[in-house]
Amino acid sequence: MKLWTRREDARLLTGHGRYVADLVVPGCLDAAFVRSRVAHGLIREVDCSAAREVPGVVGAWSAADLSELPVCANEAAHLQDLPPVPRTMLAKLSTEDAVNGREWPSLAKDRVRYAGEAVAVVLGEDRYRAEDGAAEVTYRIDPLPAVVTPAAGAADSVSLFDGLSNVAFRGTAGEPIEEVVWRRAAAVVEARYRQQLLLPTPMECRTILAVPEDGRLTVWSGHQMPHRLRLELAKSLGWPAERVRVVVPDTGGAFGSKSATFPEYVAVVFLAVKLGRPVRWIEDRMESMSVATRGRGQDQRVRLAADEDGRLLAYELEIDADVGAYPHLGVGLPMQTAWMATGPYMTPRVHATVRSVLTNTMVTYPYRGAGRPEATAALERSMDVLARRLGLDPAELRRRNLIPPESFPYQTPTGRRYDSGNYAAALELALETIGYDAWRAEQARRRARPDALPLGIGLACYVERSGGEPGGLHDFAGVEADEDGAIIAHCGAASSGQSHETTFPALVARTLGVDEYRVRLVEGDTDAQPEGLGSFASRSAQVDGAALQNAALLFAERARERAAELWGVPVEEVEWSGGTLYPVRDGSAGMDLTELVKATGPLRVHERFESGMGFPFGAHAAVAEIDTELGVVRVLRLVAVDDSGVVLDPAVVRGQAFGSAVQGIGQALYEGIPYGEDGVPLMANGLLDYLVPTASEIPPIEIKDTCTPSPSTPLGAKGAGESGCIGSPAAIVNAVADALQIADPDLLQMPLTPDVVWRAARAPKYEEA
Amino acid sequence: MNITLTVNGDDYPLDVEPRRVLADALREDCGLTGTHLGCEHGVCGACTVLVDGEAVRACLMLAVQCDGAAVRTVEGLAGPDGEPHPLQRAFSAEHALQCGFCTPGFLMIAAGALESIGDDPELVDRLVESNICRCTGYEPIRRAIMRAATDCPPASDRSPTSEGS
Repeated sequence: MKLWTRREDARLLTGHGRYVADLVVPGCLDAAFVRSRVAHGLIREVDCSAAREVPGVVGAWSAADLSELPVCANEAAHLQDLPPVPRTMLAKLSTEDAVNGREWPSLAKDRVRYAGEAVAVVLGEDRYRAEDGAAEVTYRIDPLPAVVTPAAGAADSVSLFDGLSNVAFRGTAGEPIEEVVWRRAAAVVEARYRQQLLLPTPMECRTILAVPEDGRLTVWSGHQMPHRLRLELAKSLGWPAERVRVVVPDTGGAFGSKSATFPEYVAVVFLAVKLGRPVRWIEDRMESMSVATRGRGQDQRVRLAADEDGRLLAYELEIDADVGAYPHLGVGLPMQTAWMATGPYMTPRVHATVRSVLTNTMVTYPYRGAGRPEATAALERSMDVLARRLGLDPAELRRRNLIPPESFPYQTPTGRRYDSGNYAAALELALETIGYDAWRAEQARRRARPDALPLGIGLACYVERSGGEPGGLHDFAGVEADEDGAIIAHCGAASSGQSHETTFPALVARTLGVDEYRVRLVEGDTDAQPEGLGSFASRSAQVDGAALQNAALLFAERARERAAELWGVPVEEVEWSGGTLYPVRDGSAGMDLTELVKATGPLRVHERFESGMGFPFGAHAAVAEIDTELGVVRVLRLVAVDDSGVVLDPAVVRGQAFGSAVQGIGQALYEGIPYGEDGVPLMANGLLDYLVPTASEIPPIEIKDTCTPSPSTPLGAKGAGESGCIGSPAAIVNAVADALQIADPDLLQMPLTPDVVWRAARAPKYEEA
Repeated sequence: MNITLTVNGDDYPLDVEPRRVLADALREDCGLTGTHLGCEHGVCGACTVLVDGEAVRACLMLAVQCDGAAVRTVEGLAGPDGEPHPLQRAFSAEHALQCGFCTPGFLMIAAGALESIGDDPELVDRLVESNICRCTGYEPIRRAIMRAATDCPPASDRSPTSEGS
């Protein structure tokens, strides 16, 4: 028996993992940030003088101090002022129009726009000294009224940026729907939904360690996109990218939240270069809870129309997105919701509009699911309301409208071209797995007994998008053999817990027909892999996997060419089999790759590979009973059927599906960030206030899959890992709504806390159609 | 203050400030970085270690409180010959870790109670409920601890043949 199931396990289970905070660099300084306690205000004074007197403090600076640094005698002497947070136009998710005049400073200089925004940075010989110093920094901020909700922001009565609207971005997908369509429909559902703000909460908070050496800078960071970080930091420093090396060691989870260049990263790198000393920032949890990026944050208004047979006629989705204090990548992220608004149905008319509104809260950014959970929740909740309105079983309403397998590729009214799918098969498997009919019978029994706890069954069908957007659907991968015959695979991805080190070598080995352990993976080091995009949008298997497969095939091809040249035969007469090259004609023993490389030199293939978009899909089903006295939701059963196309490692994908389902439960029932009217998050007790699910909140969950290969790459993989966040929240909320039979869907807004549920249980119920 | 921590059987004479938490002493002063800090306010349990056999949050305990105590960390789980602990094997077999950051805490909280599970299977639930994992959804961790408890009878009568499945 193999000792370790995954290669990562050997170090991660023995305490020998290397996360950024574990790296030892002699003379390294720790950074601590002084953070604003008010959400919106004008900075009158920041005084770091007392901090500089604290033993062990090496320096303390406000933003103003960092534009007046004495000239240093090192290579950074030209750096005059602390650069701002780099602009991000990635995948056109943000725009020049949105960002112009709304720059995000790395340290706030004149005005703070969210609680926790850093106004000063202190460097100490260790974290204790740095925090001692930070405690001595004083500041005076004159408060301004805080804008806490998108509605308040859009009213523009308080502007975050003088002379500019708080509405930073507008977008649409699909064509406007004429009024006559709604008038003639047999049923029209109207509802408002809140997709609450969430904290991604990886167990390792953000980390950066910057080490200047020999005119270069090495940056260690737990990160999803090392090459982007390198490029953005180099630009900030005015350096060519080659002078910066980014290395991603072990990363303790990310869930979308570790792909940017954050303000603290700019400050740390700037100071490291300016002082010529290693500097690190290891974010702590309380810091993370106030100033790490948040996910979701949409106020939605929907209209969904159907004819008397339950055929969908039109769907309209209006989104007011809360994008936080500065327009960053999250400003265009709600377009993902708009583009995916059509969902898995053949609705002929779909129109989605987005208004991205600035508020005095920390910036919104992708979090596992990133736009697709919001699309799924709005549509799937409305489908259940519609079913009730029409007197149809919710499963039957979905059956009548799912895009059939023969319709792919399917062009949606909101601009997506779905690659492949068998949506009905996923739904039927979910119904069968959960025992749908039996639960409906149990529900009927309970409804006949006034003392029984109400029970509901909720469904959610979803289709999502993986791989990235046009312009960002590629990555770089390579396969090489060195002189001892070891095969090294390279790619631009970066793992934060997704088992790349195990699954990618296995894929390359399978493609080459060699032993798995002959291949090892190198990723997450910009010196070892000159170009790369990274791991986001569930793209690692779909894009990097396909890129590695492609590189491996080319590698075998190059090896055959080499052998052909060596032997003086046509390449068609050389065969690659199991890492050995054989001359087809003379039947001799053949030459192992190791010998070939010894004879002809190292062999390396490095290729850019482009994928199409993938559209994973599935159906989730939940059964819940409600304690109406306590307002407690008990999820009795959760079934997730996902289709990720061709799967590289079923156990790894199942683990991702299970983990994301639990995050979906978190959104449905527990997680949320309460803000005071002053814009300060009410989470003084940290993880006792922000309730990520613990083991005691986990119902029986069953994960199943169907397999519809994607035609977008020869590998056929679609993205995996975000499904639970996308499908499960809507299924759970639908189960609660079904149990309570509430007439007004707007009463159930996530998270379904006891307070929300207790009130909903006392609200008017709908009439059975 | 001068103290001596005995970690995984080795003595570490240290000169620490009274405010220094055990986790920092282990990580920075003893160089044992397998103990991770996930929240620094005692909720997540990533920093769980055993002090005189009892599971504690190393972020809430001061190093000076452990003067003379025996501390066991994830680095001390494997046998003297490097043979992995049954928990380490079971976590790997059950995919009970993904990013691995919370893992040392779960391993140690389970290690402190493993031999009691045979008499009280529900103890596994209470152990898993003690800490936070954001990747796995806990079920694989629960399975791994059960598996290790089954594979790991009390040390006195442990047989070498009960590995795997």
